[in-house]
Amino acid sequence: MIDIEKLHKSFGKNDVLKGISAHIEQGEVVAVIGPSGSGKSTFLRCINFLEVPTSGRIVYQGEEVTAHAAKLQAVRKRIGMVFQHFHLFPHMTVLENITYAPITVNKVGKATAVQKARELLQKVGLADKENEYPNRLSGGQKQRVAIARALAMEPEVILFDEPTSALDPEMVKEVLEVMKSLAHSGITMVIVTHEMGFAKEVADRVLFLDGGLLVEDASPAQFFAAPKSERAQAFLEKVL
Amino acid sequence: MKKSSWLLLTILMVTISSMLFTPFQQHAAAQGKHAKTLVMGTSADYAPYEFVDTKKSSDVIGFDVDIARKIADRLGYNLEIKDMDFNGLIPALDANRVDFVMAGMTPNAERKKKIDFSSVYYKASQMIVTNQKSIKKVKDLQGKTIGVQLGSIQEKEAKKIASQVNDVAIDKQNKVTDLVEQLKSGRMDAAVIEDGVAVEYLNKNPDLSGFKIPHSDATGTAIALPKNSALTEKFNEQIATMKKNGDIEKIAKKWFEPKKKASDEKRAIIDFSEIFPSVPFILKGIVTTLQFVVVSIIFGFLLGTLLALCKIGGVKPLRWFADAYTSIFRGTPLILQLIVIYNATPQVTGYKISAFVAGVLTFGLNSAAYVSEIIRGGINAVDKGQREASMALGIPKSAMMRQIILPQALKNILPSLMNEFITLTKESAIVAVIGTMDIMRRAQIVSADSYRYLEPLLVAGVIYYVMVMILTVLGRMLERRMSRSD
Ligand SMILES: Nc1ncnc2c1ncn2[C@@H]1O[C@H](COP(=O)(O)OP(=O)(O)OP(=O)(O)O)[C@@H](O)[C@H]1O
Ligand SMILES: [Mg+2]
Repeated sequence: MIDIEKLHKSFGKNDVLKGISAHIEQGEVVAVIGPSGSGKSTFLRCINFLEVPTSGRIVYQGEEVTAHAAKLQAVRKRIGMVFQHFHLFPHMTVLENITYAPITVNKVGKATAVQKARELLQKVGLADKENEYPNRLSGGQKQRVAIARALAMEPEVILFDEPTSALDPEMVKEVLEVMKSLAHSGITMVIVTHEMGFAKEVADRVLFLDGGLLVEDASPAQFFAAPKSERAQAFLEKVL
Repeated sequence: MKKSSWLLLTILMVTISSMLFTPFQQHAAAQGKHAKTLVMGTSADYAPYEFVDTKKSSDVIGFDVDIARKIADRLGYNLEIKDMDFNGLIPALDANRVDFVMAGMTPNAERKKKIDFSSVYYKASQMIVTNQKSIKKVKDLQGKTIGVQLGSIQEKEAKKIASQVNDVAIDKQNKVTDLVEQLKSGRMDAAVIEDGVAVEYLNKNPDLSGFKIPHSDATGTAIALPKNSALTEKFNEQIATMKKNGDIEKIAKKWFEPKKKASDEKRAIIDFSEIFPSVPFILKGIVTTLQFVVVSIIFGFLLGTLLALCKIGGVKPLRWFADAYTSIFRGTPLILQLIVIYNATPQVTGYKISAFVAGVLTFGLNSAAYVSEIIRGGINAVDKGQREASMALGIPKSAMMRQIILPQALKNILPSLMNEFITLTKESAIVAVIGTMDIMRRAQIVSADSYRYLEPLLVAGVIYYVMVMILTVLGRMLERRMSRSD
């Protein structure tokens, strides 16, 4: 579904991604892990061109992603994204946050969009919050709204960039629960995370990045039980 | 956007467009007895030559006006009068905004370089007006300060006195009303004022006394016309006729004759009873000022938003343009911009914009420079994540700007914007210079008509203050509305 070919990205003189190639299958749940600064976020953001690669290609559903504005928009509609810091629209209610893009971008009727949004809020356990403004919500609630917002566009893939890292510990679980049920729904997910337990339990595959290189690409069972590289071993020793 | 906001916007738009199509300038009666019309420029703060009897109406009247009417009528023209600041008269003549100027104007060499004068239609002599009973002749002025109107014949007269009497200091002021006010407050001892004008002040102010300066240079008053105007010859013929048949003398008698002797009772320093009947005249300026301020603010805001987008956009030439624009409009005085735009536009484009349009243009263009900086700052202060979240959802750039970024930016910059709008409201008083009949200009006219200086200005001050307070309250309400989401 997504082909990443020889992806390079540098910021000035800083080579952050040094040639990463990977393939992501339809319906797969992929966990991206690695030390801080290894380039995980950059890798993820290159997939939907929030960062424009220095060289290399992203091929989505057989078609190369480029910076061409209209084409890029069309691709982004189909790729959802959830950020570490939520980035909800603070001047819109929860319901407006969720319905805005479907109405504006997908030209869905308002009534349909609202109905769909309510279903999603039900799903993430926030049915009673539709008229709240984001600033009145807890971190966990915000992140669940952000997930609902991404889902409202009915994307084929969702990219998660450390969705629980900014949350107080007691709220991590409620977000992970939502993501777990999503994983079982068959949608493709790429998740940058430090939650090793979650990766082990939910992911179909683990990508381990270090120093801008893809060091390991393995199943969670394999990776967590017997990492091949020394770097992965050292990393796991530290975090587990 | 909410339905109610759209409604509000629509109402606003309708109001503004209806304002734009109502006539702004007070054109004193061009009602058509004749087929053609002459436009006379004057500065209606010089009684009894030209002033407004603000207790009764908004019409400019006086000695000059009567003479102009008579001449225009005899030549087969209607007369239309345009009032403006005295300093704006010659530029207006230059830019063909008026056909001729009558404003108690004296021909002098400097003026003659730019414009032509008719023959002199009236000669006045000079008087010393003083606040001290002990000053009865020119010699008594030793060691005193005497005031004159800057650049006037009287200034020369004062210099002559200074060369004859020891220790005379000369204080130059812009207007005769300023001179009288300084006399009353004791900041100067005497002033040189033309007799016809002085008589009026002496009538109204029992504290002042005066005497004619012996052998003073007679001020000749003449009509100013554009260089090589075809009208000059015709005007001269009419002046000659009117001198011969006694018309000018008759009109002079009507305006310059001393009237009832002022009562001797002491007058309070501040006394509103005198100008009370003129308050409605000043209040009418609110409409002009409001129209002016509202249109300028909206124009400035829209243009400012556009400029802000140029500044943050990726197109380099647009960014350079917007930066240069801002630096020019912030780096030069507003009053200079106003006068340049008002007088240069007709010369460059051949299209005579009205004082109102020139004012709106200047204030709008100027305000846009400040607004664009405020908005640019506001946009940059919006969290980068908002943009990324929008992009990730596939939201087009324009919709993202209008509905995600700008609303958040506006909320943050509302206090600064409000501040800019308040400044604009107060500074709008500057348009009085080009003769828009706004609150300030009307206050000046009342002050000239009533021989009361402070009171009309205080009334104008109160009106401006109330307007600013209303604006402040509206701003607070808007702020509260926008902070629902906090
Ligand atoms: N916009 C940018 N401009 C310049 N340098 C950047 C930018 N974004 C990231 N970098 C640099 O790229 C490197 C990798 O950053 P990235 O955020 O991809 O790492 P990460 O693996 O996600 O780390 P973390 O686990 O801390 O989030 C870092 O050295 C960072 O400083
Ligand atoms: Mg990261």
